Amino acid sequence: MEQFLQAGIIGVSLGAQYALLALGFTLIFGILGVVNFSHGGFYMLGGYVAFACVEHLGLPYPLAVLAAILVTAALGWVFELLLIERLVDDHLATLMLTLGLYLVMSTVMLQVFGPLAMDFRFPVTGALRAGPIYAPLENLIVLAICLMAILGLWLVLFRTDLGRGLRALADDRQVAMAQGLRPRILFPAAFALATGLAGLTGALVTPILSLSPGVADPVLATSFLTVILGGLGSLGGAALAAFIVGIVEAYTSVYFGGSIGALVLFVLVLLLLVFRPQGLLGREARGA
Amino acid sequence: MKIRTTMLVAGLATGVGITAAQAQSCELKIGAMGPMSGGAAQWGLAMYSATELAAAEVNAQGGLKMGAKTCKVVVVPYDSKYTADAAAAGSNALAAQDIKLIVGPVGSPEATGIKPVAARNEQLAWNASYAKNALETKYPLMFHIAPGPSAWADAVIKKAKTVFPMKSVVLIAPNDQGGTDIASVDAEAYKANGVTATEEYYQRGTTNFAPIVTRVLALKPDVVDTASSPPGDAGVIVKQLRLAGFTGAIGRLGGPGTDEIVRVSGGLDVLQNFYWFETVATADPKVQEIDALYKKLLGKDPVGGTAMWADLPAARMTLKAVSMAGTDDAKAVAVALRAMPVEDPNMGKGYWTGKKAFGIAQELHFPFGIGIIKDGKNLGVERQEAHRD
Repeated sequence: MEQFLQAGIIGVSLGAQYALLALGFTLIFGILGVVNFSHGGFYMLGGYVAFACVEHLGLPYPLAVLAAILVTAALGWVFELLLIERLVDDHLATLMLTLGLYLVMSTVMLQVFGPLAMDFRFPVTGALRAGPIYAPLENLIVLAICLMAILGLWLVLFRTDLGRGLRALADDRQVAMAQGLRPRILFPAAFALATGLAGLTGALVTPILSLSPGVADPVLATSFLTVILGGLGSLGGAALAAFIVGIVEAYTSVYFGGSIGALVLFVLVLLLLVFRPQGLLGREARGA
Repeated sequence: MKIRTTMLVAGLATGVGITAAQAQSCELKIGAMGPMSGGAAQWGLAMYSATELAAAEVNAQGGLKMGAKTCKVVVVPYDSKYTADAAAAGSNALAAQDIKLIVGPVGSPEATGIKPVAARNEQLAWNASYAKNALETKYPLMFHIAPGPSAWADAVIKKAKTVFPMKSVVLIAPNDQGGTDIASVDAEAYKANGVTATEEYYQRGTTNFAPIVTRVLALKPDVVDTASSPPGDAGVIVKQLRLAGFTGAIGRLGGPGTDEIVRVSGGLDVLQNFYWFETVATADPKVQEIDALYKKLLGKDPVGGTAMWADLPAARMTLKAVSMAGTDDAKAVAVALRAMPVEDPNMGKGYWTGKKAFGIAQELHFPFGIGIIKDGKNLGVERQEAHRD
């Protein structure tokens, strides 16, 4: 029973982190139709920006997290405006562009910070304990921030003109443009929102786990897996799938070991692709 | 008179310049291969730093004598990413530059990947993996930088038991050859010393080990051993074990990387009780001189920690063998290497081993060390002598 409860706590914690990553990934696909291969890179960049702010500028950690969000969002905005925007309807070109950006980002981080893991620590340590059950304080803080960020994103998308505009472009770009919505303003905004979320996640999670140029690869794989499970482009699906992935990963790893845990996730996605190719909450085809 | 002196000086300077140019009339490229990014980057960068130092040493003496020529040695690094396919691709990429000698790769998957391709390319390579088939008689151009756990695990466990009494251990390692080949040998060594051993494997690329830590702690082990997990992974495992309340000792019967494990886990206060196999006798002042030598010759600090020290003899002996053979042809260099005594200016004397484990005596065996951290204090590394097969 203790193990069961502990696995549940770990699963929810993992799910919240995956949700933040997957929401950004699916936001870009849902609105722009771009599969963003640089998403893991923005996670890594968020970690390094926060680390540099704390270590070299002496900023308090919360300000460093804010700086990470702003830098990754600004870079995403510029990248979309200058490069993606020109080729936004060419799926292969945007795929190569985002992959190229990721390679540039990881190489720059490798050159600037070196290949080894940084000594980057979360400012709060310790755990809430109830007998053998424990919940690390850092994970609880990250969980709370993740839930607030998810709520904030929902409010932006469903309670603001910006969100209505973005959703309209995602539903049917031609009709939205005919009604006066301007992709040249809204697309970079969507990209910045998504990369800012990735930067936030990187700034929060890398001091808990580790920060090195290699951290981006597994993040991209997990984001991909989650959004496919949830349905490419579906925000609700991504959030739901993220928690499913986190909980399945936790329970299978705890009860069957680390190798089986990874296998079960991929089998789950495989089965879903066979029986429900559009994902849990996805539509059969993008409207845009 | 003044003009004549100036002309003489200029003439001498030109002469010196010509002599230096003649001294390094050719260029010998050698490869340095290993993971230079990701969780095991420290090991690949160690390989690169060691090869750089060996090259800088001969270049500082005017170059490497190869037959009638004296060549400048240039090191070409290749990031083999701890994967078989990247190591195989690396062999081809280096062959395309006419490189016949490779110091590296590091991991078992890399060793598996490079062996057939390097044999086809007629390249000599030195792998540092602890794979059960690190050397094979069918690949006579493959050499081995240091022995695997079958040569030293027993000594480390015996020493660890005197400091940290233990009856059970869980070994955590990646679920590929880089993990299973080492953890399974370690487990046998623990069992031979009366310690119950359980192996736990994870998918390489795992970033959050909390579920695996929960599973491990359910077994209530006295000790957890991170075996051959990359140092970055091992640091996270240690951090999450301590956060989960594990107070037992943590062992490391695998590749080097204690510095990085300490850093990633959160410091000695978090690590608390730790024992590890050290690839070289790091307390030896002669061994410690290597970093200063590197800085003197290359003007920067080496990367790779003690792994760099362990890789250095292979790079030095390879260059010496090139001189003896008078060529960089891999087969001729291999013949020269086999005839050389195992000796290094910093490591001292060692032995050619590997006949017993692999059927081919192409493995360097130098004195090694056993490190202990107790109650958050580093007690240092105890020297262990090398032994013949």
